[in-house]
Amino acid sequence: MNCRYRQAASLQMQAVTNIKEEQIMSYDIKRSVSLYSYQDEYYDGKLDLEGCLRETAKTGATGVELLAEQMIRRFPLPIETQEFRDQWFEWLKKYNLEPSCYDAFLENKIYDNRTLSLGEQINMMKRDLRLASMLGFKNLRTLVSTPMDVIEGSLDYAAEVDVKIGLEVHAPFSLNSGWADGYMEMIHKTGTKHFGFIPDMGIFCKNIPDVLRDKARRQGASEECIKIVDDAYAERLAKGFVKIKYDLNLGKANMEYRMANGMKEMMDAVEKAGGGPADMAYAGASFTYSWSEPQDLIDNIDYIFHTHAKFYNVHEDYVETAVAIPEVVEAFKKAGYKGFLSSEYEGGEHLRDVGVDSIEQVRRHQEAMRRAIEG
Amino acid sequence: MAGRQIYNPDGFKNVEENGKITGYQFQFKAQYYRGFTLSIVRDIRVNVDGEDAAREDIRFTVNGETFTLEEMRTVVDSDYRWEFGDYATVTVLKEGGLAKGSHHIKAMQIIAPSYMPFQTEALCEADFEIA
Repeated sequence: MNCRYRQAASLQMQAVTNIKEEQIMSYDIKRSVSLYSYQDEYYDGKLDLEGCLRETAKTGATGVELLAEQMIRRFPLPIETQEFRDQWFEWLKKYNLEPSCYDAFLENKIYDNRTLSLGEQINMMKRDLRLASMLGFKNLRTLVSTPMDVIEGSLDYAAEVDVKIGLEVHAPFSLNSGWADGYMEMIHKTGTKHFGFIPDMGIFCKNIPDVLRDKARRQGASEECIKIVDDAYAERLAKGFVKIKYDLNLGKANMEYRMANGMKEMMDAVEKAGGGPADMAYAGASFTYSWSEPQDLIDNIDYIFHTHAKFYNVHEDYVETAVAIPEVVEAFKKAGYKGFLSSEYEGGEHLRDVGVDSIEQVRRHQEAMRRAIEG
Repeated sequence: MAGRQIYNPDGFKNVEENGKITGYQFQFKAQYYRGFTLSIVRDIRVNVDGEDAAREDIRFTVNGETFTLEEMRTVVDSDYRWEFGDYATVTVLKEGGLAKGSHHIKAMQIIAPSYMPFQTEALCEADFEIA
Protein backbone atom coordinates (compact mmCIF):
# COMPACT_ATOMS: atom_id res chain seq x y z
CA MET A 1 0.00 0.00 0.00
CA ASN A 2 0.79 3.67 -0.17
CA CYS A 3 3.55 4.65 2.24
CA ARG A 4 4.70 7.86 0.63
CA TYR A 5 3.45 9.90 3.57
CA ARG A 6 5.43 7.81 6.00
CA GLN A 7 8.51 8.23 3.80
CA ALA A 8 7.90 11.95 3.59
CA ALA A 9 7.50 12.16 7.36
CA SER A 10 10.71 10.22 7.85
CA LEU A 11 12.61 12.52 5.47
CA GLN A 12 11.23 15.50 7.33
CA MET A 13 12.40 13.85 10.52
CA GLN A 14 15.94 13.58 9.22
CA ALA A 15 15.90 17.16 8.03
CA VAL A 16 14.80 18.59 11.35
CA THR A 17 16.72 16.34 13.74
CA ASN A 18 18.56 19.34 15.12
CA ILE A 19 15.37 21.28 15.63
CA LYS A 20 13.76 18.22 17.29
CA GLU A 21 16.60 18.27 19.82
CA GLU A 22 15.45 21.71 20.95
CA GLN A 23 11.83 20.57 21.02
CA ILE A 24 12.58 18.21 23.89
CA MET A 25 12.34 21.29 26.08
CA SER A 26 9.26 22.71 24.41
CA TYR A 27 6.69 20.07 25.29
CA ASP A 28 3.63 21.00 27.34
CA ILE A 29 2.11 17.77 28.62
CA LYS A 30 -0.94 18.14 30.83
CA ARG A 31 -2.98 15.55 32.72
CA SER A 32 -6.67 14.82 32.23
CA VAL A 33 -9.05 12.09 33.40
CA SER A 34 -11.66 10.57 31.15
CA LEU A 35 -14.77 10.00 33.24
CA TYR A 36 -15.04 6.63 31.48
CA SER A 37 -12.54 5.62 34.16
CA TYR A 38 -15.18 5.88 36.88
CA GLN A 39 -17.81 3.78 35.11
CA ASP A 40 -18.08 1.13 37.83
CA GLU A 41 -18.65 3.64 40.60
CA TYR A 42 -21.18 5.50 38.46
CA TYR A 43 -22.97 2.23 37.58
CA ASP A 44 -23.22 1.37 41.28
CA GLY A 45 -24.56 4.81 42.13
CA LYS A 46 -21.50 5.64 44.24
CA LEU A 47 -20.54 8.61 42.07
CA ASP A 48 -22.62 10.97 40.00
CA LEU A 49 -21.29 13.37 37.35
CA GLU A 50 -20.24 15.99 39.87
CA GLY A 51 -18.64 13.32 42.06
CA CYS A 52 -16.55 12.20 39.09
CA LEU A 53 -15.35 15.75 38.54
CA ARG A 54 -14.50 16.04 42.22
CA GLU A 55 -12.44 12.83 42.14
CA THR A 56 -10.71 13.97 38.97
CA ALA A 57 -9.63 17.21 40.62
CA LYS A 58 -8.29 15.32 43.66
CA THR A 59 -5.75 13.50 41.46
CA GLY A 60 -4.14 16.78 40.45
CA ALA A 61 -5.37 16.48 36.89
CA THR A 62 -6.38 19.75 35.27
CA GLY A 63 -8.41 18.33 32.40
CA VAL A 64 -11.60 16.32 32.11
CA GLU A 65 -12.80 14.15 29.25
CA LEU A 66 -16.51 13.43 28.95
CA LEU A 67 -18.58 10.71 27.31
CA ALA A 68 -21.81 12.69 27.11
CA GLU A 69 -23.91 9.58 26.54
CA GLN A 70 -22.50 7.90 29.62
CA MET A 71 -23.26 10.43 32.33
CA ILE A 72 -25.90 12.74 30.88
CA ARG A 73 -29.37 11.21 30.92
CA ARG A 74 -31.77 11.93 28.03
CA PHE A 75 -28.83 12.81 25.79
CA PRO A 76 -28.57 15.26 24.12
CA LEU A 77 -31.48 17.27 25.58
CA PRO A 78 -29.85 18.61 28.77
CA ILE A 79 -26.88 19.99 26.82
CA GLU A 80 -29.34 22.09 24.85
CA THR A 81 -30.50 23.80 28.07
CA GLN A 82 -28.89 26.88 29.56
CA GLU A 83 -29.47 25.41 33.02
CA PHE A 84 -27.32 22.34 32.41
CA ARG A 85 -24.57 24.28 30.65
CA ASP A 86 -24.42 26.82 33.48
CA GLN A 87 -24.13 23.96 35.96
CA TRP A 88 -21.39 22.33 33.87
CA PHE A 89 -19.26 25.47 33.71
CA GLU A 90 -19.89 26.16 37.39
CA TRP A 91 -18.50 22.70 38.22
CA LEU A 92 -15.48 23.18 35.95
CA LYS A 93 -14.69 26.42 37.76
CA LYS A 94 -15.29 24.88 41.18
CA TYR A 95 -12.95 21.94 40.48
CA ASN A 96 -10.45 23.88 38.38
CA LEU A 97 -10.85 21.65 35.34
CA GLU A 98 -10.50 22.33 31.64
CA PRO A 99 -12.62 20.37 29.16
CA SER A 100 -10.02 18.25 27.31
CA CYS A 101 -12.08 16.06 24.99
CA TYR A 102 -15.68 15.15 24.17
CA ASP A 103 -16.15 11.50 23.21
CA ALA A 104 -18.74 10.95 20.50
CA PHE A 105 -20.32 7.68 19.41
CA LEU A 106 -21.34 7.79 15.80
CA GLU A 107 -24.37 5.55 15.91
CA ASN A 108 -24.51 4.98 12.17
CA LYS A 109 -26.25 1.64 12.65
CA ILE A 110 -28.93 3.15 14.86
CA TYR A 111 -31.49 1.23 12.79
CA ASP A 112 -31.04 -2.48 12.20
CA ASN A 113 -32.17 -2.45 8.58
CA ARG A 114 -29.52 -0.09 7.17
CA THR A 115 -26.42 1.97 7.76
CA LEU A 116 -27.24 5.68 7.86
CA SER A 117 -26.59 7.52 4.60
CA LEU A 118 -23.51 9.71 4.28
CA GLY A 119 -25.58 12.85 4.80
CA GLU A 120 -27.23 11.47 7.93
CA GLN A 121 -23.88 10.47 9.38
CA ILE A 122 -22.40 13.90 8.69
CA ASN A 123 -25.40 15.50 10.42
CA MET A 124 -24.84 13.24 13.42
CA MET A 125 -21.17 14.24 13.53
CA LYS A 126 -22.12 17.92 13.26
CA ARG A 127 -24.56 17.48 16.13
CA ASP A 128 -21.75 16.15 18.31
CA LEU A 129 -19.36 18.91 17.21
CA ARG A 130 -21.99 21.46 18.20
CA LEU A 131 -22.65 19.80 21.57
CA ALA A 132 -18.91 19.60 22.23
CA SER A 133 -18.44 23.28 21.53
CA MET A 134 -21.41 24.21 23.76
CA LEU A 135 -19.70 22.46 26.67
CA GLY A 136 -16.37 24.17 26.03
CA PHE A 137 -14.51 21.30 24.36
CA LYS A 138 -11.96 22.03 21.64
CA ASN A 139 -11.46 18.36 20.78
CA LEU A 140 -13.90 15.64 19.81
CA ARG A 141 -13.01 11.94 19.81
CA THR A 142 -14.42 10.08 16.89
CA LEU A 143 -14.25 6.29 16.97
CA VAL A 144 -11.80 4.23 15.00
CA SER A 145 -14.68 2.92 12.87
CA THR A 146 -15.69 6.35 11.53
CA PRO A 147 -15.87 6.31 7.72
CA MET A 148 -13.39 8.65 6.08
CA ASP A 149 -15.98 10.50 4.04
CA VAL A 150 -18.02 11.30 7.15
CA ILE A 151 -15.00 13.06 8.62
CA GLU A 152 -14.22 14.83 5.36
CA GLY A 153 -17.83 16.05 5.06
CA SER A 154 -17.70 17.49 8.60
CA LEU A 155 -14.44 19.43 8.34
CA ASP A 156 -15.95 22.78 7.32
CA TYR A 157 -18.37 22.67 10.25
CA ALA A 158 -15.58 21.62 12.61
CA ALA A 159 -13.67 24.72 11.53
CA GLU A 160 -16.80 26.82 12.00
CA VAL A 161 -17.25 25.74 15.66
CA ASP A 162 -13.48 25.38 16.10
CA VAL A 163 -13.59 21.85 17.42
CA LYS A 164 -10.92 19.44 16.19
CA ILE A 165 -12.01 15.95 15.20
CA GLY A 166 -9.61 13.38 16.57
CA LEU A 167 -9.69 9.89 15.13
CA GLU A 168 -8.96 7.54 17.97
CA VAL A 169 -6.11 5.18 17.17
CA HIS A 170 -7.24 2.26 19.30
CA ALA A 171 -5.89 -1.29 19.39
CA PRO A 172 -5.59 -3.17 17.12
CA PHE A 173 -5.08 -0.11 14.87
CA SER A 174 -1.82 1.84 14.74
CA LEU A 175 -0.20 4.94 13.35
CA ASN A 176 2.31 4.44 10.48
CA SER A 177 0.07 1.92 8.74
CA GLY A 178 -1.88 1.63 5.53
CA TRP A 179 -4.96 2.38 7.57
CA ALA A 180 -3.55 5.64 8.93
CA ASP A 181 -2.08 6.59 5.53
CA GLY A 182 -5.58 6.93 4.09
CA TYR A 183 -6.48 9.53 6.71
CA MET A 184 -3.12 11.28 6.29
CA GLU A 185 -3.87 11.58 2.59
CA MET A 186 -7.14 13.29 3.47
CA ILE A 187 -5.37 15.74 5.78
CA HIS A 188 -2.92 16.67 3.04
CA LYS A 189 -5.63 16.86 0.37
CA THR A 190 -7.91 19.15 2.35
CA GLY A 191 -5.24 21.10 4.23
CA THR A 192 -7.49 20.89 7.29
CA LYS A 193 -6.33 22.02 10.70
CA HIS A 194 -9.35 20.37 12.34
CA PHE A 195 -8.60 16.71 11.98
CA GLY A 196 -5.93 14.54 13.50
CA PHE A 197 -5.29 11.49 15.62
CA ILE A 198 -5.96 10.61 19.24
CA PRO A 199 -3.66 7.71 20.10
CA ASP A 200 -4.98 5.30 22.70
CA MET A 201 -2.06 4.10 24.76
CA GLY A 202 -3.46 0.57 24.64
CA ILE A 203 -1.55 0.33 21.34
CA PHE A 204 1.63 0.26 23.44
CA CYS A 205 1.05 -2.92 25.46
CA LYS A 206 4.21 -4.89 26.14
CA ASN A 207 2.17 -7.86 27.35
CA ILE A 208 -1.37 -8.92 28.18
CA PRO A 209 -2.61 -7.14 31.35
CA ASP A 210 -2.31 -9.15 34.56
CA VAL A 211 -5.92 -8.45 35.53
CA LEU A 212 -7.12 -10.30 32.43
CA ARG A 213 -4.82 -13.25 33.17
CA ASP A 214 -5.83 -13.42 36.82
CA LYS A 215 -9.49 -13.35 35.85
CA ALA A 216 -8.86 -16.23 33.44
CA ARG A 217 -7.31 -18.18 36.32
CA ARG A 218 -10.31 -17.51 38.57
CA GLN A 219 -12.53 -18.77 35.76
CA GLY A 220 -10.53 -22.01 35.54
CA ALA A 221 -7.98 -21.39 32.77
CA SER A 222 -4.95 -23.68 32.92
CA GLU A 223 -1.39 -22.41 33.29
CA GLU A 224 -0.46 -24.38 30.16
CA CYS A 225 -3.01 -22.59 28.01
CA ILE A 226 -2.22 -19.23 29.56
CA LYS A 227 1.43 -19.74 28.63
CA ILE A 228 0.48 -20.58 25.02
CA VAL A 229 -1.45 -17.32 24.77
CA ASP A 230 1.24 -15.24 26.51
CA ASP A 231 3.98 -16.73 24.32
CA ALA A 232 1.93 -16.02 21.20
CA TYR A 233 1.64 -12.37 22.25
CA ALA A 234 5.39 -12.17 22.88
CA GLU A 235 5.95 -13.65 19.42
CA ARG A 236 3.71 -11.06 17.77
CA LEU A 237 5.64 -8.38 19.63
CA ALA A 238 9.00 -9.75 18.50
CA LYS A 239 7.95 -10.27 14.86
CA GLY A 240 5.94 -7.07 14.64
CA PHE A 241 2.16 -7.16 14.39
CA VAL A 242 0.63 -7.50 10.92
CA LYS A 243 -1.41 -4.32 10.70
CA ILE A 244 -5.20 -4.14 10.42
CA LYS A 245 -6.62 -2.68 7.22
CA TYR A 246 -9.21 0.03 6.59
CA ASP A 247 -12.55 -1.64 5.88
CA LEU A 248 -16.06 -0.38 6.50
CA ASN A 249 -16.89 -3.99 7.33
CA LEU A 250 -15.43 -3.94 10.82
CA GLY A 251 -16.03 -7.62 11.56
CA LYS A 252 -14.24 -8.66 8.39
CA ALA A 253 -11.25 -6.37 9.02
CA ASN A 254 -10.96 -7.61 12.59
CA MET A 255 -11.14 -11.28 11.64
CA GLU A 256 -8.55 -10.87 8.86
CA TYR A 257 -6.27 -9.09 11.29
CA ARG A 258 -6.57 -11.87 13.84
CA MET A 259 -5.92 -14.56 11.25
CA ALA A 260 -2.92 -12.70 9.84
CA ASN A 261 -1.49 -12.57 13.36
CA GLY A 262 -1.66 -16.27 14.03
CA MET A 263 -4.95 -16.58 15.84
CA LYS A 264 -5.84 -19.92 14.24
CA GLU A 265 -2.53 -21.53 15.19
CA MET A 266 -2.80 -20.23 18.73
CA MET A 267 -6.43 -21.38 19.14
CA ASP A 268 -5.50 -24.83 17.78
CA ALA A 269 -2.69 -25.09 20.32
CA VAL A 270 -5.03 -24.07 23.15
CA GLU A 271 -7.60 -26.63 22.04
CA LYS A 272 -4.93 -29.31 21.78
CA ALA A 273 -3.83 -28.50 25.33
CA GLY A 274 -7.39 -29.20 26.48
CA GLY A 275 -8.47 -25.58 26.74
CA GLY A 276 -11.97 -24.93 28.04
CA PRO A 277 -14.15 -21.80 27.85
CA ALA A 278 -11.92 -19.72 30.16
CA ASP A 279 -8.83 -20.59 28.13
CA MET A 280 -10.56 -19.79 24.84
CA ALA A 281 -11.86 -16.51 26.25
CA TYR A 282 -8.36 -15.51 27.36
CA ALA A 283 -6.99 -16.46 23.97
CA GLY A 284 -9.60 -14.44 22.09
CA ALA A 285 -9.25 -11.44 24.38
CA SER A 286 -5.47 -11.36 23.84
CA PHE A 287 -6.11 -9.96 20.37
CA THR A 288 -7.65 -6.80 21.76
CA TYR A 289 -4.20 -5.64 22.90
CA SER A 290 -1.33 -4.69 20.63
CA TRP A 291 2.11 -3.17 20.49
CA SER A 292 3.36 -0.47 18.16
CA GLU A 293 6.48 1.69 18.41
CA PRO A 294 6.44 4.91 20.47
CA GLN A 295 8.51 6.34 17.60
CA ASP A 296 5.20 6.44 15.68
CA LEU A 297 4.12 9.25 18.03
CA ILE A 298 7.18 11.30 17.14
CA ASP A 299 6.67 10.69 13.41
CA ASN A 300 3.05 11.85 13.58
CA ILE A 301 3.20 14.49 16.30
CA ASP A 302 1.97 17.26 14.00
CA TYR A 303 -1.38 15.48 13.88
CA ILE A 304 -1.75 14.51 17.55
CA PHE A 305 -3.56 16.98 19.81
CA HIS A 306 -5.00 14.67 22.45
CA THR A 307 -4.20 11.25 23.88
CA HIS A 308 -6.17 8.53 25.62
CA ALA A 309 -3.88 7.31 28.41
CA LYS A 310 -5.42 3.83 28.52
CA PHE A 311 -4.33 1.66 31.45
CA TYR A 312 -5.33 -1.63 33.05
CA ASN A 313 -3.76 -2.02 36.47
CA VAL A 314 -1.31 0.29 38.21
CA HIS A 315 0.38 -1.46 41.11
CA GLU A 316 1.18 0.11 44.47
CA ASP A 317 4.65 1.03 43.21
CA TYR A 318 3.05 3.04 40.37
CA VAL A 319 4.06 0.57 37.68
CA GLU A 320 1.34 -0.29 35.18
CA THR A 321 0.92 -3.93 34.15
CA ALA A 322 0.92 -3.62 30.36
CA VAL A 323 1.14 -0.11 28.88
CA ALA A 324 4.74 1.16 28.45
CA ILE A 325 4.08 4.50 30.16
CA PRO A 326 7.72 5.66 30.62
CA GLU A 327 8.66 4.90 27.00
CA VAL A 328 5.52 6.58 25.64
CA VAL A 329 5.89 9.73 27.77
CA GLU A 330 9.57 9.92 26.74
CA ALA A 331 8.51 9.82 23.09
CA PHE A 332 5.94 12.59 23.68
CA LYS A 333 8.63 14.73 25.32
CA LYS A 334 11.06 14.16 22.45
CA ALA A 335 8.30 15.07 20.03
CA GLY A 336 7.43 18.29 21.84
CA TYR A 337 3.82 17.21 22.44
CA LYS A 338 1.45 19.93 23.56
CA GLY A 339 -1.74 18.46 24.95
CA PHE A 340 -3.35 16.23 27.53
CA LEU A 341 -2.69 12.66 28.50
CA SER A 342 -6.15 11.58 29.59
CA SER A 343 -6.38 8.61 31.99
CA GLU A 344 -8.70 5.91 30.72
CA TYR A 345 -9.03 3.07 33.23
CA GLU A 346 -10.13 -0.17 31.64
CA GLY A 347 -9.16 -2.76 34.26
CA GLY A 348 -12.44 -2.73 36.17
CA GLU A 349 -14.21 -5.10 33.80
CA HIS A 350 -11.77 -7.84 34.85
CA LEU A 351 -12.28 -7.25 38.57
CA ARG A 352 -16.05 -7.10 38.92
CA ASP A 353 -16.17 -10.49 40.63
CA VAL A 354 -13.61 -9.42 43.23
CA GLY A 355 -14.17 -5.68 43.60
CA VAL A 356 -13.25 -2.57 41.63
CA ASP A 357 -11.64 0.63 42.97
CA SER A 358 -11.41 2.98 40.02
CA ILE A 359 -10.77 5.98 42.25
CA GLU A 360 -7.57 4.45 43.62
CA GLN A 361 -6.51 3.20 40.18
CA VAL A 362 -6.92 6.63 38.59
CA ARG A 363 -5.05 8.23 41.49
CA ARG A 364 -2.16 5.83 40.96
CA HIS A 365 -2.18 6.31 37.21
CA GLN A 366 -2.13 10.09 37.47
CA GLU A 367 0.83 9.80 39.84
CA ALA A 368 2.60 7.39 37.45
CA MET A 369 2.12 9.89 34.63
CA ARG A 370 3.21 12.82 36.78
CA ARG A 371 6.44 11.01 37.60
CA ALA A 372 7.07 10.19 33.95
CA ILE A 373 6.33 13.73 32.81
CA GLU A 374 8.31 15.53 35.52
CA GLY A 375 11.06 12.90 35.87
CA MET B 1 -18.84 -15.69 42.67
CA ALA B 2 -19.79 -12.18 43.70
CA GLY B 3 -20.15 -9.72 40.91
CA ARG B 4 -21.56 -6.35 40.10
CA GLN B 5 -25.26 -6.05 40.72
CA ILE B 6 -27.19 -6.49 37.49
CA TYR B 7 -30.72 -7.19 38.75
CA ASN B 8 -32.70 -5.07 41.17
CA PRO B 9 -33.12 -7.50 44.08
CA ASP B 10 -36.50 -5.90 44.88
CA GLY B 11 -37.68 -5.98 41.29
CA PHE B 12 -38.82 -9.60 40.91
CA LYS B 13 -42.58 -9.88 41.11
CA ASN B 14 -45.72 -11.15 39.45
CA VAL B 15 -47.78 -8.64 37.52
CA GLU B 16 -51.51 -8.30 38.12
CA GLU B 17 -54.17 -6.83 35.84
CA ASN B 18 -57.85 -6.69 36.75
CA GLY B 19 -57.38 -9.21 39.54
CA LYS B 20 -55.57 -11.74 37.36
CA ILE B 21 -51.85 -12.49 37.27
CA THR B 22 -50.78 -11.86 33.70
CA GLY B 23 -47.04 -12.34 33.94
CA TYR B 24 -43.85 -11.65 35.88
CA GLN B 25 -41.41 -8.81 35.95
CA PHE B 26 -37.80 -7.99 36.76
CA GLN B 27 -35.43 -5.03 36.48
CA PHE B 28 -31.86 -4.97 35.30
CA LYS B 29 -29.08 -2.63 34.18
CA ALA B 30 -27.51 -2.63 30.74
CA GLN B 31 -24.15 -4.40 30.58
CA TYR B 32 -22.58 -1.62 28.56
CA TYR B 33 -20.78 1.55 29.60
CA ARG B 34 -23.03 4.23 28.15
CA GLY B 35 -26.70 5.07 27.58
CA PHE B 36 -28.11 4.19 24.18
CA THR B 37 -31.23 4.22 22.04
CA LEU B 38 -33.48 1.17 22.36
CA SER B 39 -33.09 0.69 18.62
CA ILE B 40 -29.69 -0.96 19.10
CA VAL B 41 -31.06 -3.61 21.45
CA ARG B 42 -31.11 -6.61 19.13
CA ASP B 43 -32.71 -8.96 21.62
CA ILE B 44 -33.58 -9.63 25.22
CA ARG B 45 -33.78 -13.35 25.87
CA VAL B 46 -35.33 -14.62 29.06
CA ASN B 47 -35.13 -18.11 30.51
CA VAL B 48 -36.63 -18.83 33.92
CA ASP B 49 -36.27 -22.27 35.48
CA GLY B 50 -35.20 -23.71 32.15
CA GLU B 51 -38.13 -22.28 30.23
CA ASP B 52 -37.52 -19.82 27.38
CA ALA B 53 -39.92 -16.92 27.13
CA ALA B 54 -41.24 -16.24 23.63
CA ARG B 55 -39.90 -13.01 22.13
CA GLU B 56 -43.48 -11.81 21.50
CA ASP B 57 -44.29 -12.17 25.20
CA ILE B 58 -41.55 -9.78 26.32
CA ARG B 59 -42.19 -6.14 27.18
CA PHE B 60 -39.52 -3.54 27.93
CA THR B 61 -40.12 -0.40 29.99
CA VAL B 62 -37.90 2.66 30.43
CA ASN B 63 -38.94 6.01 31.86
CA GLY B 64 -42.56 4.92 32.11
CA GLU B 65 -42.98 3.90 28.47
CA THR B 66 -43.42 0.25 27.46
CA PHE B 67 -42.43 -1.34 24.15
CA THR B 68 -42.36 -4.76 22.55
CA LEU B 69 -38.96 -5.91 21.27
CA GLU B 70 -40.20 -5.34 17.72
CA GLU B 71 -41.27 -1.77 18.55
CA MET B 72 -37.90 -1.06 20.12
CA ARG B 73 -36.21 -1.44 16.74
CA THR B 74 -37.35 2.08 15.87
CA VAL B 75 -37.24 3.81 19.27
CA VAL B 76 -34.63 6.58 19.12
CA ASP B 77 -36.29 9.20 21.33
CA SER B 78 -34.04 10.89 23.91
CA ASP B 79 -36.53 10.28 26.72
CA TYR B 80 -36.61 6.52 26.13
CA ARG B 81 -33.00 5.42 26.18
CA TRP B 82 -31.57 2.66 28.31
CA GLU B 83 -29.51 4.96 30.49
CA PHE B 84 -26.18 3.86 31.91
CA GLY B 85 -26.58 2.64 35.47
CA ASP B 86 -30.39 2.71 35.40
CA TYR B 87 -32.76 -0.23 35.61
CA ALA B 88 -35.01 -1.14 32.71
CA THR B 89 -38.12 -3.16 33.57
CA VAL B 90 -38.77 -6.36 31.67
CA THR B 91 -42.22 -7.92 31.84
CA VAL B 92 -42.88 -11.41 30.53
CA LEU B 93 -46.48 -12.21 29.71
CA LYS B 94 -47.35 -15.53 31.32
CA GLU B 95 -50.75 -16.60 32.58
CA GLY B 96 -50.51 -17.17 36.31
CA GLY B 97 -47.02 -15.71 36.47
CA LEU B 98 -44.44 -17.54 38.57
CA ALA B 99 -45.17 -19.71 41.57
CA LYS B 100 -44.26 -18.44 45.02
CA GLY B 101 -40.77 -19.48 46.06
CA SER B 102 -37.32 -19.77 44.50
CA HIS B 103 -36.51 -19.39 40.84
CA HIS B 104 -33.49 -19.03 38.57
CA ILE B 105 -33.24 -16.56 35.73
CA LYS B 106 -30.85 -16.56 32.79
CA ALA B 107 -31.41 -13.49 30.65
CA MET B 108 -29.31 -12.36 27.72
CA GLN B 109 -28.84 -8.76 26.63
CA ILE B 110 -27.85 -8.53 22.98
CA ILE B 111 -26.80 -5.02 22.08
CA ALA B 112 -25.21 -3.81 18.84
CA PRO B 113 -23.28 -0.55 19.23
CA SER B 114 -22.49 0.67 15.71
CA TYR B 115 -18.72 0.76 16.14
CA MET B 116 -18.24 -2.77 17.41
CA PRO B 117 -17.25 -5.48 14.96
CA PHE B 118 -19.39 -7.98 16.87
CA GLN B 119 -22.58 -7.50 18.89
CA THR B 120 -22.29 -7.78 22.68
CA GLU B 121 -23.99 -10.71 24.39
CA ALA B 122 -24.23 -10.41 28.14
CA LEU B 123 -25.53 -13.37 30.10
CA CYS B 124 -27.23 -12.20 33.30
CA GLU B 125 -27.95 -14.92 35.85
CA ALA B 126 -29.51 -14.78 39.28
CA ASP B 127 -31.54 -16.67 41.85
CA PHE B 128 -34.64 -14.87 43.07
CA GLU B 129 -37.75 -15.27 45.17
CA ILE B 130 -41.37 -14.58 44.38
CA ALA B 131 -43.08 -13.64 47.63
